[in-house]
Amino acid sequence: MLSNTVIKEIKKIAGKENVLTTEEELLCYAYDSTPQSYTPQLVVRPRFAAEIQDIVKLANKYRIPLVPRGAGTGLSGGSLPVEGGIVVDLTRMNKILEIDEDNLVAVVEPGVVTLQIQLEVEAKGLFYPPDPASLKTSTIGGNVAECAGGPRAFKYGVTRDYVLGLEVVTPGGELIKTGGKTVKSVTGYDLIRLYTGSEGTLGIITKVYLRLLPKPESKKTLMAVYDSIDDAAQSVSQIIKRGIIPVTLEMMDDRTIQCVEKHRSMGLPLDAGAILIIEVDGPRVLLDSQAREVAQVCSDCGAREIKIAETEEEREGIWAARRAVSAAVVQIKPTKISEDISVPRMAIPEMVRRLKEIASRHNLDLVIFGHAGDGNLHPNILCDRTDREEMERVEKAVGELFKAAVELGGSLSGEHGIGTMKAPYLKVETGEAGFEVMKRIKEALDPNNILNPGKIFWGESDG
Amino acid sequence: MDKDTVQEYLNRCSKCGGCQAVCPLYGETQSEPLVARGKLFLIKNYLDGELDLSPKMMDLMNLCLLCKACTVQCPNSIPVDELVLSIRQEIADQKGISFVKKNVFQHLLQNNGRLTTAAKGAYLYQHSGLQWLLRKTHLLNLLPGGIADKEGLLPRMSRSPFRAQIPQIISSPHPRLRVGYYTGCLTNYVFTETGRAVLQVLKNHPVEVSIPEQWCCGLPALANGDQESALQLARRNIEAFQKAGVDVIITDCASCGSMLRQYGDLLGSEEARSFAGKVIDFSRLFDDLIDFEPGEKEVKAVATYHDPCHLRRGQGVAEAPRKLIRAIPGVTFQEMKEADRCCGAAGSFNLSHYHLSTKIGRRKALNIRNSGADIVTTGCPSCIMQIGHVLELEELPVQVMHLAELASKTYGE
Repeated sequence: MLSNTVIKEIKKIAGKENVLTTEEELLCYAYDSTPQSYTPQLVVRPRFAAEIQDIVKLANKYRIPLVPRGAGTGLSGGSLPVEGGIVVDLTRMNKILEIDEDNLVAVVEPGVVTLQIQLEVEAKGLFYPPDPASLKTSTIGGNVAECAGGPRAFKYGVTRDYVLGLEVVTPGGELIKTGGKTVKSVTGYDLIRLYTGSEGTLGIITKVYLRLLPKPESKKTLMAVYDSIDDAAQSVSQIIKRGIIPVTLEMMDDRTIQCVEKHRSMGLPLDAGAILIIEVDGPRVLLDSQAREVAQVCSDCGAREIKIAETEEEREGIWAARRAVSAAVVQIKPTKISEDISVPRMAIPEMVRRLKEIASRHNLDLVIFGHAGDGNLHPNILCDRTDREEMERVEKAVGELFKAAVELGGSLSGEHGIGTMKAPYLKVETGEAGFEVMKRIKEALDPNNILNPGKIFWGESDG
Repeated sequence: MDKDTVQEYLNRCSKCGGCQAVCPLYGETQSEPLVARGKLFLIKNYLDGELDLSPKMMDLMNLCLLCKACTVQCPNSIPVDELVLSIRQEIADQKGISFVKKNVFQHLLQNNGRLTTAAKGAYLYQHSGLQWLLRKTHLLNLLPGGIADKEGLLPRMSRSPFRAQIPQIISSPHPRLRVGYYTGCLTNYVFTETGRAVLQVLKNHPVEVSIPEQWCCGLPALANGDQESALQLARRNIEAFQKAGVDVIITDCASCGSMLRQYGDLLGSEEARSFAGKVIDFSRLFDDLIDFEPGEKEVKAVATYHDPCHLRRGQGVAEAPRKLIRAIPGVTFQEMKEADRCCGAAGSFNLSHYHLSTKIGRRKALNIRNSGADIVTTGCPSCIMQIGHVLELEELPVQVMHLAELASKTYGE
């Protein structure tokens, strides 16, 4: 329990209406989009960086854990108060401060919803490409802290590729600014990249400078159906060899297709091995020929059916199949363990084979979909979290799938982060020495371990 | 809904947080306890025995517009509004309903004579000079809970109820349909002009109209957890319209309509299902059953349309009203942004949570302004009351009226 003195001081800092202490309210900040929950002792909803500085100093004085939180839509447990303490809810800091059309930069507070940024800049003919699936609700602060990706990452990169500058409250309560409106900056260590993806363990982001692009004039969407996933992977590689970089290359495996079709009846072929949804963007005059070329490549690689969307409705129809995945798969079983491995692009067929082998060995339901362009796959294990015995099998399978990804030269997490969910497996990828480097950074910057303790380094396998 | 079904729905919530994007309350507050994900988690904790029905818990469960925006977007198809209603029912069962509410649901609403007397009292308050006096002397400001502001929300009551002003049957020379007209309490006691407009439009079509003695639809009772009172009202209405022998029952109120259409599921009887199957919104009469025949007069106006939650999501009606507006001679239809976002009225939510409701309403007012329309139409008297109030607060020169009123202008006098 927090002492009354602490609660009183926090109320003085942020205003008593922005401090939540009732059991009911605290429970609503206990979870994110993972199946876990940990109830905090207090929630504070600051409006200004200066308030956060004071809160951090107070937390250091009394050694209270602080957990920064945006919309709470993370998939790795990054915003869960696993050691209790105070949740710092940043959603009230939700102003777009500036859209600099000449320098192509947006300056925003961390609590702005990512879609809001996209809509505002697109109204000015500009473009903020990162598009995590949660973009309608997730905040930019959370996107930066977890280095969110999205389907457009293959062509446009991930959040870290668009962060030009940050204002951060350090674990000691100082306010620092790193980077800013310039594209080039090599002033000492690259702190922007250190903070981006640091999962709230190294500082609390209070302002973000985002790089913008001119908005592509148009886009064109195709769907290709394959008998085998190898042919789909081959198509991806051949398209790129032709010098075409699609914005998105979304893949669904056979089990995913069956699920969607059973749930929504969209006319998807139940016997297909894989479906690719491919989107190209750019100047309108180039798109028709580019789409035809993509279709030709897919057909040469063995696609048995190819659909090019000619109208907005047809485009929506194609995407509807992909969007239906989340809802469709939970019809099988209520709990969805959503993984996020990434492998070199050409290792996708082998990875899919291994995933299926792991699932069948542990007798688990598994669907695989993801971003074929960048090798980022989302194997989703469907289970029932109330079934203890099944959950033990899930845990074993998860460990094995991480190992398989790393063996194929891949990564534990493409875009969700480590948080609590993958912490036990971190060393599988980093090794002892790599792990130590990271841990020493954390210890140097946050000696009292105030900020988001229990994340990244504190997995079970760490002892 | 039984507890097992509730539990099954609660287990389906994957906590994706998608409800944040559409919840009007979350949009204004960014407060997790107010959004569906938070509420479902609290209900789950209550059912698992981790939480009591504390005053805070009850407050939070009342903080829902029941607008269904989260329900229709939920990737896991969780009927959030029904789950909130079921916990409100639980609260009513465990804690009882307040004395005032109990009286309203179990006595006032069940008795049209008493209801008329109450409405007359309000009329007298507004017209005797008492209202003028209280406002002028700022005496209202002495009362707690922002009553002075809320008082401005109180609609101007009609001198006598609408149904007392009209015959029970209005015949037509060659009727193709017998239409039952369910007027709803707000049309009966407040917006009598809506009732007159509906009849004006119907008179110009080959239908016989029957307006039998009828009662409150029961939604206020149900939304507050008094299912028994709601069922009693339902039985009375079913009987009344059964006696009238109509082919179809139209409503001018989205909320009443959505409630009447639920009678079948609520009561489960054959009569209730047959009644519920006949209920349609006013606008759908001209979409499904007869062709709209406008009058000679041109209505020079740019009109926009606000989707009532209980029409768009409660009954799946979105196209029929727009089609009707477009068919009115001289009217230019202009869609507004977020036309289907709740206006904040939500039954009595605008009275119980005035400031929050007004914040939501102001967003609606700005969308109406930005559409450039000079008339905003809708299909629900509660929305009309709320939108009228926020347009006034924002000092916008836009008129709000029921769709039927705009349509009736084409017949001229």
